[in-house]
Amino acid sequence: MSRTQIILTRLALLALVLGAWELLPRNGVINPLLLPPLGDVLTMLGELLGRPQVHDALATTAAEVLVAFLIAVPLGATIGVLIAENDYLGDIFKPILFYVFSVPKSIFLPMFILVFGIGFQQKVAYAAFTTTFVVLMSATAAVESVRADHVLVARSYGATRGQILWRVYVPSMMPILLETLRIAMIFNFTGVMIAEMYASRTGIGHLIASWGENFQMRQLFAGVILLATMAILFNEAVRFLEARCSTWRT
Amino acid sequence: MQHVAHVTELHSRPGEAAIEVAHLSHAYASADGDVPALDDISMTVGVGRFVVIVGPSGCGKTSLLMMLAGLRAQREGTILCYGRPIRDPDPQRVGVIFQEASLFPWLTALDNIEFPLSLRGAPREDRRRRTAAMLTLVGLDGFGARYPHELSGGMKQRVSIARGLVQDPPVLLMDEPFAALDEQTRMTMGHELLRIWSATRKTVVFVTHSLTEAVYLADEVLVMSARPGRIIDRIEITLPRPRTYEMMATDVFGRLRDRIWQQIRKAS
Repeated sequence: MSRTQIILTRLALLALVLGAWELLPRNGVINPLLLPPLGDVLTMLGELLGRPQVHDALATTAAEVLVAFLIAVPLGATIGVLIAENDYLGDIFKPILFYVFSVPKSIFLPMFILVFGIGFQQKVAYAAFTTTFVVLMSATAAVESVRADHVLVARSYGATRGQILWRVYVPSMMPILLETLRIAMIFNFTGVMIAEMYASRTGIGHLIASWGENFQMRQLFAGVILLATMAILFNEAVRFLEARCSTWRT
Repeated sequence: MQHVAHVTELHSRPGEAAIEVAHLSHAYASADGDVPALDDISMTVGVGRFVVIVGPSGCGKTSLLMMLAGLRAQREGTILCYGRPIRDPDPQRVGVIFQEASLFPWLTALDNIEFPLSLRGAPREDRRRRTAAMLTLVGLDGFGARYPHELSGGMKQRVSIARGLVQDPPVLLMDEPFAALDEQTRMTMGHELLRIWSATRKTVVFVTHSLTEAVYLADEVLVMSARPGRIIDRIEITLPRPRTYEMMATDVFGRLRDRIWQQIRKAS
């Protein structure tokens, strides 16, 4: 299949799904109370975007996501690089961290509530906690992707430690690091959402949870569309950067 | 030999030693104690000479080359390059070319060649001029903007040679640079290397396990024994220069290759 055909087929599939979403509830094939027609949901989405309450919730969530990301990425990257580069630290901490990595982090959520309450700090702490592990694992892989012969070449031309770091390590690790940022954001966003839906008074996750509990399906689906769009846009932006780096990836 | 210690300029007169190795020995630490790797190596490489080191796999020839480059430390013995010891990599004196071309995949061919100069922070104008000259020297005009994955194996190794030459070091160390290439490309590259060598008059120490390559390229072949590596023979290659492919079919060529082979067989 040619590229155009693939794109056309994708668009046709999308139109089919959206069309079914609009028509099936309207014709009563699907209960409109459970799945309101797409048109109604989009109208509600427009209305929601005008509400100050939704603006506040979005701002709160965005702040939580951003702060958690800014804590988790440098923290995870530092720990990851340390255990990958330092054999002693690696021997001690690698198995422990790998064990904890395999545990679903949501079981720790009640402890975070006990320690931090149900406010901003708890969302940030919990999301940063889950994300740090993902970043840490990827950073370890990124360091291990640096080829020993590249380091040797740089040393043979008299590169200093700093030059080896910036001229060899950073560009070698860049493709994996960008992928890490993307995946970290997925985990980070998920962490904030789970924390907000579990126990919160603010944030878009809290709104979605309460719409669901109150059976406000149009609001619920409008929220889902809004969040899905935001997540996909961020993901694609980083993927675009990744694609630009991957021209030299062998 | 005493006067060599006082030589300070890098480009000396012919007949002098570029590299002097004296009683070099090395052993690797392992769980079962020390494993001897190199045993009392002494050798002298004259300025402008093309010296090839051959030996069975694992005899430590690559280790020896890494020590000459200052990339690895030996346990005992001394290495002098133009009268001064080699302890750390010194790109002003020694350029190294590795088995895999080891080009940085995120840099173009030109930027790869320029890499050693950019570490020094030389003026951009000089860097560009010098880099372009090297690209021409290795016969890659017009390929400077390509990334390594867009180049063939032989071209990558040409870029790697250009990178080794860009700072104009008097000594070039080459660790099986053509081992990963197919036979035809390997022959062509050997010929190209001799052309570049005669144009630049570098001192070359070249490690290989190909006897044909050794005889074809060298002024002098050093044969190493199996581990722990010792130098067991030194063979002067008297074939005239410039070398031609036809020489490979001559009796002299065959006898020289045979002698090296006998030595290696005895040693391993």
